[in-house]
Amino acid sequence: MNKKTLASLVGAVLGAAVLTAPAHAQNVKVGLLGGITGPIAAMAPSMLDASRLAFNQVNEQGGILNGGRLEVVVGDSACNPQNATDAATKAVNIDRVIATVGPHCSGAVLAATNSVAVPAGVLVVTPSGTSPEITRINDRDLVFRTVPSDDYQGRALARTLKARGITKVAVAYLNNDYGKGLAESFKAEFEAGGGTIAGYSGHEDGKASYRSDLAQLARGGADTLVIFDYGDGTGLTILRQALENNFFKTFIGADGMKSEAVIRSLGAANLTNFFASAPVGEASASLDAFRTAFSAAGGNPDAIFTTTSYDAAFLVALAIEKAGGDRSKLAEALRAVASAPGEPILPGEWAKAKKLIAEGKDIDYKGAAGDHEFDRAGDVPGQYAFFKVSGNTYEAVGEMK
Amino acid sequence: MTLLDFINFYLVPGIVLGSIYAVGAIGITLVFGILRFAHFAHGDMATLGAFIALALVTAGMDPWTALPLAMAITAGVAIGIDRTFYDYLKARPKIVTVMASLGVALMLRSVVQMLWGVDPTTYVTGIVRPTDYFGILLRPRELYTLTAVVLIVVGLELFLRRSKWGKAMRAMSDNPDLARLSGVDNRKVTMLTWAIVGALTAASGFMLGINTEVESMMGWHLLLPMFAAAILGGVGRVQGAVLGGLIVGIAEELSVFILPAQYKAATAFALLLLILLVRPRGLLNGKVL
Repeated sequence: MNKKTLASLVGAVLGAAVLTAPAHAQNVKVGLLGGITGPIAAMAPSMLDASRLAFNQVNEQGGILNGGRLEVVVGDSACNPQNATDAATKAVNIDRVIATVGPHCSGAVLAATNSVAVPAGVLVVTPSGTSPEITRINDRDLVFRTVPSDDYQGRALARTLKARGITKVAVAYLNNDYGKGLAESFKAEFEAGGGTIAGYSGHEDGKASYRSDLAQLARGGADTLVIFDYGDGTGLTILRQALENNFFKTFIGADGMKSEAVIRSLGAANLTNFFASAPVGEASASLDAFRTAFSAAGGNPDAIFTTTSYDAAFLVALAIEKAGGDRSKLAEALRAVASAPGEPILPGEWAKAKKLIAEGKDIDYKGAAGDHEFDRAGDVPGQYAFFKVSGNTYEAVGEMK
Repeated sequence: MTLLDFINFYLVPGIVLGSIYAVGAIGITLVFGILRFAHFAHGDMATLGAFIALALVTAGMDPWTALPLAMAITAGVAIGIDRTFYDYLKARPKIVTVMASLGVALMLRSVVQMLWGVDPTTYVTGIVRPTDYFGILLRPRELYTLTAVVLIVVGLELFLRRSKWGKAMRAMSDNPDLARLSGVDNRKVTMLTWAIVGALTAASGFMLGINTEVESMMGWHLLLPMFAAAILGGVGRVQGAVLGGLIVGIAEELSVFILPAQYKAATAFALLLLILLVRPRGLLNGKVL
């Protein structure tokens, strides 16, 4: 018997030992990665609490699989690629999680999935990475999100402008993942619909003057300016300088521009031709169920991304249950539990879902943030409305198709 | 594009921006010329000055009346910072003070963020449409900004050339030991320098704020162009800082003709590199005041 055969024999025996391990009362580890430190440190605690609420409900209502518990491994992705990779590496390779909720920020999601989670075959559901780049990850169907991609917003905005009779625009975007992603989606859809982009340029933030940028954009002859930027940052400077110099007549922004700071600084009277798109939540029994449960647990259900964080965690738990703990079937199981048809499951209804899965029935999770019917890339569509300035706040003037 | 369009939308914004850089760069050049270190807290001191002015405006003052008062208060703060941090490190290698000034920058910014928050705000709500002067479009605030810059530069030049204390500052910039032997009180000159620098930073922060918005990162974003301006003109030279500021400001605005707009911020870097390669002493031979 040579060494090679011996080695493979030992390997086979070890493998068999793992396979025949008792299947009852086995705990399952899941990762919870979030930007605990860094730029979104103020948002992260509520998001993590919302995800923990879902895991706690699972453990209180019969646990996962055969009476096992979900063990949560928390990692700090710090909203940056390096920390996200480190946190994901630890969760995947040391703690051996089979799925993660998070990371939170787009850049962190891209890094953690490309370099760690996808090669290891670990399911990732992010509650807040909105960059269109996440759609394009070569993810072997392992990367999902419960928050809509900015791509939908850019396209919806393009269609809305067309519907309002605007056919020629100039686009100014902030040169980062957010601004650039939105601008590219908008441009593609607007041009596909027969519109003309008469000026298209990116800018860095923090400059004192954008008048020359605006003059260049205005030379294209458009009288509508679309700004993909933040209304409590550079976007405000650009809007002010465009208004003061009469470069454009109408101004359109996306959710980043829908900031109270714009109205406070420029005055509502000057903003009669300023419009912005923004995602809107849909009232539903699911949302009410989540709000009640999260408030009872001491959380603030109005904090940003709490609904998507809760849904991401609950969906991961459902997928693990459906797949019987088999990581290779997780993605397929996630689609099955999230999509119609099936018996509707609302937030918190773990015991009911577990029973139905055990009976082999199909279920359809109706989340607090929406229905979560994942498309081929693992994205969910969003609901957006078009806002105008009214008084000292924003007022919706219509749905965006 | 007509000539008037060029003046209104490229040249005038460049000159206004350049003047703001110039006022900041004078401060950098004074610290470097007299105290001999690169002061990284300069931008955030400008932020603080802008917010002190904001506090005065919120209390009911007219912005341009608030400016001198804000300059005086910031001058006091600058002296305080010197006494608390830089003076203590005087005998150590200068690099320690440079690093300390970076720490001071972070502290100042945090204080501003704690007191006033991180949301941008403005001195005056609303927008101001320009007045037409024979085709050249100018806003009152731009005229005031340019006037204020001219007054500051002329006043400072006169002070440095004619007054006893101005001469003492120049002497210390030339050779601190020799100045002390000749009876110049280095301590007092240092205090005076910080008072002037503090007032200048407040002025640059205020003028940036009134032409755009007031927010906690505004000064930090100014730092690079201000350093570029100071080095471009020749470190230690007041006229050099003014010249450098104007060149950097105008170059940034004109760069959109040849570069995509997202590279606008890199223009200051490019100019800085170029001058360091071609003429490291700056346009007006730098070194002493």
